[in-house]
Amino acid sequence: MDRNIGLACIIDDDSMYVNLVKKIIETKNLCQNLMVFKNGKDALNYFEAILSSLEKASIPEIIFLDLNMPVMDGWEFLENFTKIKNKFGKKITLYIVSSSINPVDIERAKNINSVEDYLIKPVTIEDLEAIFLNRST
Amino acid sequence: MLQNELFDNVIKDLNAGYWELHDNPESEVWSEKFYDTLGYSKGELAPTIDYFLEHLLHKEDVDVFRDNFLNYRRNTVNFKQHIKILSKQGDYKLFRCATNDELPVNIKSEISLIFFFEIKLEPQLDIKKDNFYYKETAQMTETGSWYVDFHKKKSYWDFETRRILEYADDYIPSLKDSAIYYAEDCRQQAADCFFSCAMAGTPFNTEIKMVTAKDRIIWVRAIGKPVYNENKEIIGIRGVFQDIDDIKVKELKLQKSMSIIASQNSRLFNFAHIVSHNLRSHTSNLSLLVQLIEDINKPEEKIELIQEIKQISSSLNTTIEHLNEIVTIHTNRQQERKLVKFQDALDLVISGIGQMISISKTKIETNFEAFDRIRYIPAYLESILLNLITNAIKYKHPDRDPKIDIRTYVEGENSYLIVSDNGVGIDMKLFKDKIFGMYKTFHYNKDAVGIGLFLTKNQIESLDGKITVESEVGIGTTFTIEF
Repeated sequence: MDRNIGLACIIDDDSMYVNLVKKIIETKNLCQNLMVFKNGKDALNYFEAILSSLEKASIPEIIFLDLNMPVMDGWEFLENFTKIKNKFGKKITLYIVSSSINPVDIERAKNINSVEDYLIKPVTIEDLEAIFLNRST
Repeated sequence: MLQNELFDNVIKDLNAGYWELHDNPESEVWSEKFYDTLGYSKGELAPTIDYFLEHLLHKEDVDVFRDNFLNYRRNTVNFKQHIKILSKQGDYKLFRCATNDELPVNIKSEISLIFFFEIKLEPQLDIKKDNFYYKETAQMTETGSWYVDFHKKKSYWDFETRRILEYADDYIPSLKDSAIYYAEDCRQQAADCFFSCAMAGTPFNTEIKMVTAKDRIIWVRAIGKPVYNENKEIIGIRGVFQDIDDIKVKELKLQKSMSIIASQNSRLFNFAHIVSHNLRSHTSNLSLLVQLIEDINKPEEKIELIQEIKQISSSLNTTIEHLNEIVTIHTNRQQERKLVKFQDALDLVISGIGQMISISKTKIETNFEAFDRIRYIPAYLESILLNLITNAIKYKHPDRDPKIDIRTYVEGENSYLIVSDNGVGIDMKLFKDKIFGMYKTFHYNKDAVGIGLFLTKNQIESLDGKITVESEVGIGTTFTIEF
């Protein structure tokens, strides 16, 4: 299998979920590297820091973003991320992955330009495979 | 015939029909006004005393009137009598009859005259039969009538109004002090109704609390409308009071239980939402794990993954425990409230977390002068104080020792407890809506679980109170509890 995806990023405070996704990615060989942030604030700090270096290898191609997180939730991260995402010189595809089935949340997410899709937890292995393969071909 | 103008004018001013008696006993002259008042036109009647006695006069009055009439005609003996005369419409009208001596002293008439002054009846003074029905209606519907006379500056109450307001039958209502008949918080309402009715002629129909002679407060429907004279001036207000105390008390009870049900319902809905959301994160992990186990071929990796189930199961348990705590709050609201002293509850809390307080060098200042005790579920008051105090210590400002100020105060009918600290504060712009949410934390502390304030809010609301928060980053946080 091609390993075109170099770096993926998960922003989620549920460590069990993160570990499982990590395991799936390893097992299925979906990408080379995975970075994890426990909340929006940590992730935002990282993205703001790499803006100055713009080292291609440290910019993820895919982001999986949770909505309900402490300190800075997914919405606030999105708001800030949307302002800077065009400065990376690289397409970053962002998926919201949340356990919220609230239609208000889903509608709100779909109206944000930088959001590719809204996935409801539990995600399936097939979902993840499709996302990674689609992105790499 | 009448002789002069002066006389004519006087007759006009009397505004009454009259007869002129002439020598010929067979013919009286009945004035136009006499016909008009009764609704007849001239040719319809024979203007003789015999026709009158036979066809027009009520038979109760015939004998007396005949005697009076003949005596007057023959001997010029003046008389006065109340009689009823049949009108064209078929009903009897009441008149006061008078003779020449009714004329002003400066007027002398050479002819004998009989005047018929129509008496217009007030409805409640009407014939006895109507009065009976009126009384029955008033009693059965518990509706009393009243009248305020602006000229005489007096109010009048009927028997039923006196009964409703528990005054003696001979009680004379006061117009000057009429405010005392209304409950204190309804006096403005009463004043507004009567004022705009008196000034602008606006009728009113309102529910109002009145005070009876026995100092009982009862709900009454008060209906009033202006009374006008011929010049369209408002000369009084007429109306009724209906005793609706039973109905109103039931209605208020119903409203109260409705609002309790509505708030319980919204808490239940909220709870269902929380349950669904919190369990979902675990079940979705479980489902992902199962997929992974099925997908993996190596047995040792499978076993490793099965170990993860333990982790999920323990998180699930913790969540269920938290949910249980919330359920307990909702069932506990039935628990008995006791009189608790704030200081006692606080002492208990402080002794429980004494070490935490002394290590952090926390200073707690109190002032319970406004009120020092409250009827509450003691465990809740302790839990509320514990949560707010430990929060203040956990989120203390790095540069200073924690100082917590706890005091009570009263404003109007409401009583409050205030807990304020000098900690790091919460960014209200970002977190205003989330502070009391479940599993919401705003700080990087490891032990932030995000359940404390959620429980506090639920405990307070289950006892029909409110909690609000104000905070400034770097300055501190103030929680205000309304009981």
